[in-house]
Amino acid sequence: MNPTASETSDYSQPPIRWLGEADCCDPAQVGGKAGNLGLLARKYPVPAGFCLAADALARHRQADYQASILLAYATLEGLVGEPEPSVAVRSSGVDEDGSTASFAGQYETFLNVRGGGGVLAAVERCLQSAFAPRVLDYRLQNDLNSTEIRLAVLVQQLVPADVSAVIFSANPINGRRDEIVITASWGLGESVVGGTVTPDTYTIRHHSAAHITAQISDKERMTVPAPAGTTEVPVPRLLRRQRTLTDSQLLEMAQMAIALEDEMGYAVDLECAWHRGKLFLLQCRPITTALNKGHG
Amino acid sequence: MESVQLIPGQPIPIPPDFPIEWPRPTDLDIFWMRDVMHFPYQILPLAASFVENILEPSQNHGAVKVEMPVRFHCRIFNTHYYSATTPVLGPDGRPPQPPADADPMDHPTVHAVMNISDFWENQLLPEIKQILAHCESIDLASATSAQLVSYFDDFMAQAIRSWQIHFEVAFTMLLAMSLFDDFYQEVFGADALGAYRLLQGLDNKSLEANRKLYALSRTAMETPEVRTILETHPAEQVMAALQASKESRPFLQELNRWLQEYGQRGEMYDTLTSISWIEEPTPAIRNLQDYIQRDEDIDAHRQAMQAERERLIEEARATLASYPEAVRMQFEGLLCSAQAATVIQEDHHYWLDHRATYQLRRAFLEAGRRLAAAGTLAAPMDVVYLDFEEVRNALLALLQTPQQLHERVAERKATLAHFAAIQPPMMLGTLPPGAPPDDPGTRAGMRFFGVPPQPSDDPNTINGAAGSPGKVRGKAKVIRTLNEAGKLAAGDILVTETTAPPWTPLFATAAAVVTDAGGILSHCAVVAREYAIPAVVGTYTATHLIHDNMQIEVDGDNGVVRIIA
Repeated sequence: MNPTASETSDYSQPPIRWLGEADCCDPAQVGGKAGNLGLLARKYPVPAGFCLAADALARHRQADYQASILLAYATLEGLVGEPEPSVAVRSSGVDEDGSTASFAGQYETFLNVRGGGGVLAAVERCLQSAFAPRVLDYRLQNDLNSTEIRLAVLVQQLVPADVSAVIFSANPINGRRDEIVITASWGLGESVVGGTVTPDTYTIRHHSAAHITAQISDKERMTVPAPAGTTEVPVPRLLRRQRTLTDSQLLEMAQMAIALEDEMGYAVDLECAWHRGKLFLLQCRPITTALNKGHG
Repeated sequence: MESVQLIPGQPIPIPPDFPIEWPRPTDLDIFWMRDVMHFPYQILPLAASFVENILEPSQNHGAVKVEMPVRFHCRIFNTHYYSATTPVLGPDGRPPQPPADADPMDHPTVHAVMNISDFWENQLLPEIKQILAHCESIDLASATSAQLVSYFDDFMAQAIRSWQIHFEVAFTMLLAMSLFDDFYQEVFGADALGAYRLLQGLDNKSLEANRKLYALSRTAMETPEVRTILETHPAEQVMAALQASKESRPFLQELNRWLQEYGQRGEMYDTLTSISWIEEPTPAIRNLQDYIQRDEDIDAHRQAMQAERERLIEEARATLASYPEAVRMQFEGLLCSAQAATVIQEDHHYWLDHRATYQLRRAFLEAGRRLAAAGTLAAPMDVVYLDFEEVRNALLALLQTPQQLHERVAERKATLAHFAAIQPPMMLGTLPPGAPPDDPGTRAGMRFFGVPPQPSDDPNTINGAAGSPGKVRGKAKVIRTLNEAGKLAAGDILVTETTAPPWTPLFATAAAVVTDAGGILSHCAVVAREYAIPAVVGTYTATHLIHDNMQIEVDGDNGVVRIIA
């Protein structure tokens, strides 16, 4: 498919909204997750990505948004700096009130998708999973303009993480506000999130390099990108007990957590990835466990 | 093979015809294995002295240097070589455990692995060359008796340092290849030989020696006189015939240059008491006689091996492209070290086992000549029946009253003759209470020395370890010494207890190799892979069960030998 301007014409608002741009922050249009990431991307190193806004998906013919996606994916190549970059394609439901309170509207995630055709297929599958069987056939066969369809799709660079980490801007175990806790393991975050690996735990007290304690664990498994998405593999023996993060990496992460906590006004729980010495912010949520009042 | 009852943690029964006087009381409590891979033959008294005074201390020098968790013990029991390892114990009498959060990468052994190429090239090799230049510059033949004693001490010191160097690199070298194998199988799946395909096609001194010998065979073919001599004379008579032929002189000069460069080696790993190719070049002549009958493109073969290696490395890199950087860096680091180690494994033999040790042989040969001239010994070569201290004392005595050591030599010859007829047991001492530990050093050791294979139910199937891939059928030739190498014709299968670098030329003739001793990292397996011929190593029994001219099939991928007829 060869996107041209004529194919992508005939709509009032561009269907593609880039993370970090002003039009990619409205949860009513891009869904809770993308809206949140869109806001973060304006100040923090969120992996590059774009969104098909709910309105656009509702209003436009398949051929139109497909051309837009291909064009956007080509732009993403330039942003990421490699041909056919690996992306994650996620559908994100948009609540009628546009609330960001919940991510329950996320229907489907396709990891490690490569190439324009792959992205198009993943977007289609996101839509199918969201609409089928109720309106899918109807939507595909008609130039549908339905107010019922409230779905956004996020296409975002899948950072092939060297190390994945979760940062708590306050210690969720003992409730201390002056302790930042970072858990980290090799590869993509799935093994950490899925609990198949015991990650390293670093505690940074008083936000100072002098007060870092590290608990290095035996990290037996890791998730890596694979042709059909991701796969979990054993960690080579010599790396299992190796420390995943240096002090300077830990401090950089702590600084980001402090800045986000200040900005959000609450203690945050961040998902991060390191790739080629660069820190990426993947997600930011409030810490839901009880914390001590005040610092210290 | 004797069958004895073996109980873990209990003393191993000693065969009645192999009575042992334990030199140290604690020797009974540890587990001794015959090292057939390095020492398939009886050990002469001079070599025994080498083992005690140089080999054992220098092994432990190397073990201390890279903080290995074990120490090495070497003994000669009834003229045969045995070795053992014991764990280093902490103050509480137990092996010290690393802290639970210790980073295995941050250990002197691993640092040494990662640094092996630089350490060998820039530190050890220059020192070795200095030692060689020093020893080679000394004219022992024209030294006075007093000078000879001081040269003797000097050569001894140089030999000790050479063997320290040997073991400063040897363990690291094996570990480098073994860690790469571990990594490869963990990441790419179980494949005993897979890792080694990424280490093939690298030049080394054993291959270089062979390549130049092959080139010499081309020169020989161009000179009709030389060719005729090689084709018509028994190997033992070729040198004399060449010397008598004026037309052969340029070829002879080239051959002698080759022998000076690569012939400072004997039969096996023991250069000290084994006759060198310089003294007796028949093994080289035999190789030449074989080579003039063949026409091979050695360079094309090597280029194909290299291309295959690079293709597989790129394939591995593509798989790892999306893996964490730490994994990719470890792959690159281990690959680089393992490749360097593959070369060092052959090259260290050339520099240390051969050339440096040949200098020590030179000192003892000169001592032998002086002692024979003075009547201390009946013949110069009898010096190999003495130990270091006896030789030194006998040399000192030359300054006053020469000793007479004929009887002592006769006694030792008698002992050797007595045990020559007795099959030495594979194991002595006390059987270890449990399985060996699963640590990098133990795994490397097992890959080098091999492990006892699964017993076979079928008398026509012999199990060993995969050494080099491929499956081939051929006529077996059981060859225990290079003197028997003449019976190996192209397409035959070399069946032997073990091989050493001086055996490398035979790999160009054989269609496959089978050994009793050694593992996937043994000389035999490494060289078979370079020659792309199948190898099954560490069968323990092949030379007993296979006889000359049996038709056998060697399955190098699965480590199995089948007797067809």
